[in-house]
Amino acid sequence: MKTPRILKTSVIKLVLKYAIFITILITLGLSFLYWSTSQYTDAQLESGLKFELSKLKEVDATQGREKLISILSSNWQEGLDTRHYYLLVNDKGEKILGDLLAWPKKLDPNEEVVNIWIENDIAPIHLEENDGYWPMIAGKLADGSELLITLSVLPAEDIQEFTLFIIAIILITSIIFTMMMGWFLGQTILKRIDNINNTAKAIETGELDQRIVLSSNNDEFDELGQHLNSMLDMIEKLLSGMREVTDNIAHDLRSPLTRVLNHLDVALLESRSEKEYKQVIQDAVIQIQSLITTFNSLLEITQTEAGSYRGEWLTINISCICTDIGELYAAVAEEKNKYIHLDIAPNLTIIGNQHLLSLAISNLLENAIKYTSNNGKIELKVRTYQDSTAIVISDDGPGIPEEFHDKVFERFVRLDNSRTTEGNGLGLSLVKAVVELHGAKVYLNDNQPGLKVKIVFDD
Amino acid sequence: MKILLIEDDIEAATSLQKGLKHSGYEVVHASDGLHGFSLANTQNYDVLIIDRMLPNLDGLTIIRKLREEDIHTPVLILSALGEVDDRVTGLKAGGDDYLVKPYAFNELLARIEVLNRRSLTNVEKAELVINDLKLDLISHTVTRNGIAIRLQPKEMQLLEYFLRNINKIVTRTMLLEKVWGFHFDPETNLVDTQISRLRSKIDKDFSQQLLHTIRGKGYILSEDPSNPKN
Repeated sequence: MKTPRILKTSVIKLVLKYAIFITILITLGLSFLYWSTSQYTDAQLESGLKFELSKLKEVDATQGREKLISILSSNWQEGLDTRHYYLLVNDKGEKILGDLLAWPKKLDPNEEVVNIWIENDIAPIHLEENDGYWPMIAGKLADGSELLITLSVLPAEDIQEFTLFIIAIILITSIIFTMMMGWFLGQTILKRIDNINNTAKAIETGELDQRIVLSSNNDEFDELGQHLNSMLDMIEKLLSGMREVTDNIAHDLRSPLTRVLNHLDVALLESRSEKEYKQVIQDAVIQIQSLITTFNSLLEITQTEAGSYRGEWLTINISCICTDIGELYAAVAEEKNKYIHLDIAPNLTIIGNQHLLSLAISNLLENAIKYTSNNGKIELKVRTYQDSTAIVISDDGPGIPEEFHDKVFERFVRLDNSRTTEGNGLGLSLVKAVVELHGAKVYLNDNQPGLKVKIVFDD
Repeated sequence: MKILLIEDDIEAATSLQKGLKHSGYEVVHASDGLHGFSLANTQNYDVLIIDRMLPNLDGLTIIRKLREEDIHTPVLILSALGEVDDRVTGLKAGGDDYLVKPYAFNELLARIEVLNRRSLTNVEKAELVINDLKLDLISHTVTRNGIAIRLQPKEMQLLEYFLRNINKIVTRTMLLEKVWGFHFDPETNLVDTQISRLRSKIDKDFSQQLLHTIRGKGYILSEDPSNPKN
């Protein structure tokens, strides 16, 4: 037979352990209660009996035998107090008056309370099933006659049985209750876990967009679900990044590869001079190098976007980096009759990756140089504000219309009128990936005219 | 000059061997880490070219073990892992230069020649000289034919790098890496611009041209660029 799944759950095991623990605790508690109550009632009983005996002896001594007998017989005759029984015998041991039929053998008139076994043959006639231990006390009266006082308590076994019965009831109730609790808890938790399991199964079968449905309780299961969901988001992002790279490589590398291939194929069609061959091979080398550059950029973007970049993360002097790159590009710009103006506050630092930041800044400067016209002016500004550091690169070129501000950050996106300029359309996507990896933000603004790119690092 | 090539990709190794032999080097090839290590440990080579991923003993371990054995042959690491910190771990392990696949053969050739200790001449000098061009490393002044030439700090570093590698072709990537510390290929001809600026300062007014461009390969500081060492 298959064990029901709920019995295998950890919560049921926990609940069973809990039930056993609770049972032991309750048993101990009840036993103690039983013991201490019986101690208390025994003491009450003993002092009650002693007090009554001394009172009756006093009556006998001060008010005479008639008074005692009348008290005893009134008690007996009225039968109101069913718990108290008496026996008065004369000095020869003959019964004068009382409920008991004979004097118990083991009882001495020493005014001490003892438990004596009373058989049915001497018990008060009007009681049934009354053999058992009776607490009794006996004393000698002045004339040598003896008085016995006893009271019937419920037989000890009855009390034991009753207590056991109560304990059993409490135990069974608590076990049933805890089992029910366990079952209920088990079901609830199983339901939550099943929710997670089902999502996992769906993902296993390829439904990568499935996510764990969270409840509104905000409990530990929701926390687990949230963590798993964000893990899944991350994995999906990585996967789709990979897929995108594959797609992009297919898309963007296929045509240049074909070009190189055709170029080489055509060169082989007829024999050529050494010089011609050399030219063909050199062209192919240059084309392949540009392919490798595109390929590397794609990889860099993907790794950066996925946050899997494992490069060094240090406090870096962003002023220094910008000055170095700025001066490098200023020379290039000058050759093309364009001017880069550096306005860099000294010694500003941020925490980041030097390589990636250099890459991003050089991409932005390259764009600025590419798109400004003759005599164009470009500015690279690094400033610190109250709690942020900003790198601003502005140019007076054609700018980017506002409706394209989001689009230009996508891979391989190039605005139509820029098809003629060289480039692979990856520059701004890389910038965005780098900026986001640094927890910074990039803004495109109208420089009136031109484009202003602002990267803001919050401290 | 004798090179040990430790590379498990037989096809790549064969074409490298061919190219290096054609360029005048003697090449020994090992396709397995352990074999490569024992060769490097027992024989004398001028340069080691070691792939990072190798069967039996990986490239970085080979380099570490060699350095522990006090063998300081220059090492060029080849790797398909291209992130900056892979480069850093490679250099920390004791490598002298790091080249990421896919690389151009010219790049490899240029780097090997720069690594070759035998051809290092200007190591401990206070002055670097070619023809009548002098760079004083102490006062940081440059003169040509006794006439002082004013250079920007980066131009000075660039010239120093050339002077330390006289008659050797250096590539754009090498210059970006060694002079500027950038590990990427910019679209723009950044280096060309810097070179032509430097050239205009050191060569422009003189008949003997020293800083030459070698098409498709890089640059060379030489009195006779048609006869480079690599």
